[in-house]
Amino acid sequence: MRNRLAGIFWSILFLAVPVLGVGVFAIAPSIDVWLPKDVSSHGKEIDSLFYFILALTGIVFIVTEMLLFWFIWKYDAAARGDEKATYIHGSHTLEVIWTIIPAVTMLFLAIYQMNAWADMKMRRPVMKPTVEVVARQFEWRLRYPGPDGDLGTPDDLFLVNDLHVPVDEDILIQLKSMDVLHSFFLPNLRMKQDAVPGMKIPVWFKATETGQYDLVCAELCGWGHYKMKGRITIESREDYDAWLEAKYREQEATQPEPMDEIL
Amino acid sequence: MRNLCLSRENCLPRRVGLTLGVSSRPGLQWSVANCLLCTMLLCMTLLCTMTGCGQSRLPAPTPDSEAAIALRASLASDSAGGAGGSEVVSTGTGWGTLTGRFVFVGSPPAAKQLIVDKDTAVCTAEGRKLFDQSLQVDEATGGLANVVVFARKVSRVKEREMPEEPLVFDQKVCEFLTPVFAARVGQPIDVRNSDPIGHNTNVSGTSFNQLIPAGEGTLFTPARETGMPTMVTCNIHPWMKAYAVFREDGYVAVTAADGSFTIPDLPAGEEVELQVWHERSTGPNGALAADMPELGWSSKGRFTVTLEADGTTDIGEVQIPASAVGS
Amino acid sequence: MTHFLPFLVTAMNRHSTFMCRNRFSLSPVALVLTVCGSLLFVSGCGKTPAASFRPNMVEAAKQRLKPEQEEQVATILEAMFGTPDNPIAMPETGLDIGKLRLAAGPVHSDIVGRKNGLFREHCSHCHGVTGDGMGPTAAFLNPYPRDYRPGWFKFKSTERADKPTHGDLVTILNNGIYGTSMPSFELLGEAKVDALVEYVKYLSMRGEAELNMMRYFFELDDEDEGKLPETRDFLVEEILLPVAERWQEAEDAVIEVPEMPEVDLAESIAMGKELFYGNKANCVKCHGVTALGDGQANDYDDWNKVVKQWSDEVQSSHEVSTKEMSREEKAEHREYLARADKALAGDALEPRTIQPRNLRQAIYRGGRRPIDFYYRIHAGINGAPMPAAAGTLTPDEIWHVVNYIRSLPYEFDGELGADRSMVARDRL
Repeated sequence: MRNRLAGIFWSILFLAVPVLGVGVFAIAPSIDVWLPKDVSSHGKEIDSLFYFILALTGIVFIVTEMLLFWFIWKYDAAARGDEKATYIHGSHTLEVIWTIIPAVTMLFLAIYQMNAWADMKMRRPVMKPTVEVVARQFEWRLRYPGPDGDLGTPDDLFLVNDLHVPVDEDILIQLKSMDVLHSFFLPNLRMKQDAVPGMKIPVWFKATETGQYDLVCAELCGWGHYKMKGRITIESREDYDAWLEAKYREQEATQPEPMDEIL
Repeated sequence: MRNLCLSRENCLPRRVGLTLGVSSRPGLQWSVANCLLCTMLLCMTLLCTMTGCGQSRLPAPTPDSEAAIALRASLASDSAGGAGGSEVVSTGTGWGTLTGRFVFVGSPPAAKQLIVDKDTAVCTAEGRKLFDQSLQVDEATGGLANVVVFARKVSRVKEREMPEEPLVFDQKVCEFLTPVFAARVGQPIDVRNSDPIGHNTNVSGTSFNQLIPAGEGTLFTPARETGMPTMVTCNIHPWMKAYAVFREDGYVAVTAADGSFTIPDLPAGEEVELQVWHERSTGPNGALAADMPELGWSSKGRFTVTLEADGTTDIGEVQIPASAVGS
Repeated sequence: MTHFLPFLVTAMNRHSTFMCRNRFSLSPVALVLTVCGSLLFVSGCGKTPAASFRPNMVEAAKQRLKPEQEEQVATILEAMFGTPDNPIAMPETGLDIGKLRLAAGPVHSDIVGRKNGLFREHCSHCHGVTGDGMGPTAAFLNPYPRDYRPGWFKFKSTERADKPTHGDLVTILNNGIYGTSMPSFELLGEAKVDALVEYVKYLSMRGEAELNMMRYFFELDDEDEGKLPETRDFLVEEILLPVAERWQEAEDAVIEVPEMPEVDLAESIAMGKELFYGNKANCVKCHGVTALGDGQANDYDDWNKVVKQWSDEVQSSHEVSTKEMSREEKAEHREYLARADKALAGDALEPRTIQPRNLRQAIYRGGRRPIDFYYRIHAGINGAPMPAAAGTLTPDEIWHVVNYIRSLPYEFDGELGADRSMVARDRL
């Protein structure tokens, strides 16, 4: 008893994968599960790379899935009576082709993105760090260098989780980890960098718009990973300076603050 | 295991059977391996079920929720009154003195040497050694020193003047000179440091933990009763340890080197309940038990006496066995 | 997961009849799997019972309470404080029930979409549902999470034995405690932090009331038959109010801080250094000649000391000879020791020594504002060995020490190369 129904079931199932896959991508932006708003100077390049690779892999995905469906549909044993399958040992030419095409594509991508990579990870702006971020279980400890611009001096400003940076300026962050691997992730600034214990990793970007955005940890760092939600505030130079000044004054307090300020 | 399951049919559940390593042949052909596997599975499950998921801890009592609701209602209404502690009603007149003597039965164990790892130039100069002072037994008389005796509740308190001279609590060569001391609430205590090095004195259960510079002193006035004696330590030299007891009425005594104690001016002609404490006691909260049923001596370290007015009542020798003071 | 197992097995069997040529019967193995799976399901590993407060079993065992006495305490506590899911704030506590409800209970959203169950979401995995510092992650942390029940808090603006103010606890939640595992919760927002602080106060009051009651059994007269009087006079006036009032009094008991003396900073630092190494302030004895916090390594903080001392006591009680004891005494002694061992193993964490702060790292647990240093040096640190300097040092002198300590991380200009021990020896 050969069951034609089984063949139909499996081929339809495999057809559902590309249909649903494409469908999800098509409606995602309209239900707000797409890339978050980009507020960085390098974000456009990252996003266009993303779209380019998405298009490329998308086409390959659709073609592969359609072929899969077609073969299951067409060559279902139940539908083909007693016709025997041909036994082939393989095609050298075919194998060479399907090795070379992906290899060339990969190589192209590797070269095509090189400049973007260098901009983000290699061409560091020549400057002192704007702020040191120390990731630890489970928070972001921040240290601003204070007026002298040097870290490790008595005028350092210590804060936690509430990162502020000025808009339209090069920002250089010195990233450290106190305990385990964390990942410093600013989705709106298209910035993600692992924090590695024992390393001092420079991270740089330039924000183009003011506002408050998420700072999260993108590396499962322990049971309290979800707690590592910080906040980045991008503000004008004047606001930023005023904020630094206010925070520094708080840190140097020699008298208690009035209750209404604490609460 | 794989061989077990080789069969002609290769349908999906067979494959699952393969990965689980069990045969799914309908013919019920039980192999030894199958039997073993099933037994193991059953045993493990039973074990899991019986032990539960928690660790073995002391069982916690379950609150009686219905009683709790009723109690909550009665606490909310002011009318639910009644005195908490029973007040002692005065029935006698006059004042008397209580004395007695604590004796250690048997030979006391050798005192442990303390580890002194700091300020050794002062604390252990010239090969001096410091010893644990928690059990001090007089060699000649067998008297047990540093036992605290105090009145639990009295019906009346004889008015006596608060001593103006502060009680001196001194430390020298990294030891507290009075390992157990008693004071009245409100009585000033001069916490002194007769060492050439700095100490701090930390009276637990109070707000007092103060730096005492070399050769200086500071006043401490206990503001509250301690109940049972409270520990006094020096955090700079953690081996230093003493006990303090503060009583509102001042009816408290610490036994001397020969084991004797005297509490004067207790209310006479009526029952007075006294509490006994020793640092090494194996009883609850340091309560010292003794085999003296004639005084009604309880396992909570309490006994009752009725004093003669204007006289001295001696409870005699109280024998303390080694097991009562943890040795 | 386990309860899926039987379903999976039967589902597979049914599927096989559709897919296979041969009829697939329920094999004995599948039967066993089904039985095992159902057993696990029924045994309740998958179910979460309603949360309950864990009684202070260490104190109960230490006070040698009988089961009915333990039950009485648990019942009284439920009457006065409710349960973790349904807290109660008696008016005497001065607590705000609205805030408590926000923090208590399981994590869920209420009718208006507000997040409830904040304590269990953010705090209980370390501090425990009861606030006993025995949550599931507690044993991994150094220092251990705070046990609120004795009612001692370290970093505050009040005198040593006083409670912290509401603002003090808000500051701790906002800033976290750098150098420990306590993170910052500032971004939760004011309302949530406020609710959590209120709940911490609630748990602390509850824990202290529990301790007071458990200890009171010893104070009972013999004719009370080992039962606490369940009257308002006793439970509210003698047990609850003394605790609650001290929390309320804290708000007006903030240490007054005189202004920093107007001397040159370098001069002030030099004077502070003199005091730090001198016999008067004696900081050097614990914080070490290098100020690396290596001067004292074998002391305990009060939370650990309580466990350590009792565990030593129990240990020596194990060695006491039972020869002279009567049969009942012997049984009682054994029962006490068995319960003590179990309580110490299951309801207390292995006691751990406390380290004096390394003052060279610029990591300060109790805050880095000069005023935070002033509070700590003035009043000492409650629960920790750090003694108070007020009375020994003048306010000006305390400020000098504050300035010196704040300069310590930068004394060598941030360079680690300088030979610190040499420098320290010169100084002495």
